[in-house]
Amino acid sequence: MPQLDTSTWFTTIMTMLPTLYLITQLKLLNTNHYQPPLTKNSNLQSHSIRWQPKWTKTCLPLSQPQQS
Amino acid sequence: MNENLFTPFSTPTILNQPATIPIILFPAMLVLTSKHPINNRLATTQQNLTQLILKQMMTTHNAKGQTWSLMLMSLITFIAMTNLLGLLPYSFTPTTQLSMNLAMAIPLWTGTVMVGLRFKTKNFLAHLLPQGTPTPLIPMLVVIETISLLIQPVALAVRLTANITAGHLLMHLIGNAALALSTTNLSLTLLTSTLLALLTVLEIAVALIQAYVFTLLVSLYLHNNT
Repeated sequence: MPQLDTSTWFTTIMTMLPTLYLITQLKLLNTNHYQPPLTKNSNLQSHSIRWQPKWTKTCLPLSQPQQS
Repeated sequence: MNENLFTPFSTPTILNQPATIPIILFPAMLVLTSKHPINNRLATTQQNLTQLILKQMMTTHNAKGQTWSLMLMSLITFIAMTNLLGLLPYSFTPTTQLSMNLAMAIPLWTGTVMVGLRFKTKNFLAHLLPQGTPTPLIPMLVVIETISLLIQPVALAVRLTANITAGHLLMHLIGNAALALSTTNLSLTLLTSTLLALLTVLEIAVALIQAYVFTLLVSLYLHNNT
């Protein structure tokens, strides 16, 4: 049986090792799986409205009543 | 007759240089990588297939087992592409070489055993004795279970080699027989239809890849989770 001829075993194994562990894995890592572009929720407007009063509050510290 | 039948399985040489090197490297080139968000149909099909296989295989594992997902994905991709390309006439299938299958099976199986031994030693050793065995049988059963554990990598390698080799041999034989019978024109149609059916059945070489990866999965799952 020609598969039991061990003279070629070294070449075959040494070729298979970088192919399997390097090249195929690098190729699989470099496939980008993009999300469909419409999945981001577009209700950011409500958050920005709630954010504005906080911003005005922190930016005007002198308008708060003095404690001392 | 013997020499003629087995020559497709000897490693090919071109001008005395080993041709196995480009042949083994070739299936990896067929995996497409592209940076575009929207690809052509072939790249999209490949990506969808990869995601499908990934989800099917890795959902049964916990977080620790899922660190092996890249390894198992590249394993199933490599073996599937290699086996499918070997179905073309006059091509060389590297997975018929026992050397390559042993070199794939032994390190991967040893890895799973190391993971199981290191992180779940008691659990791993407890698997060597099935529940509810009568006390006098215990030493014999431990030996038997150890042997069945140690034979796993050999079984993985030899299973893959033998199945692919036998399939290819059978196709050669039936094709030769159909050709020889074509002059008499007797059962030509019957034989060629058998060859065609065998070819489609041999596309269950892809199922063999499933068998390989799933057997590997089973031992990984067992060592990681139970």
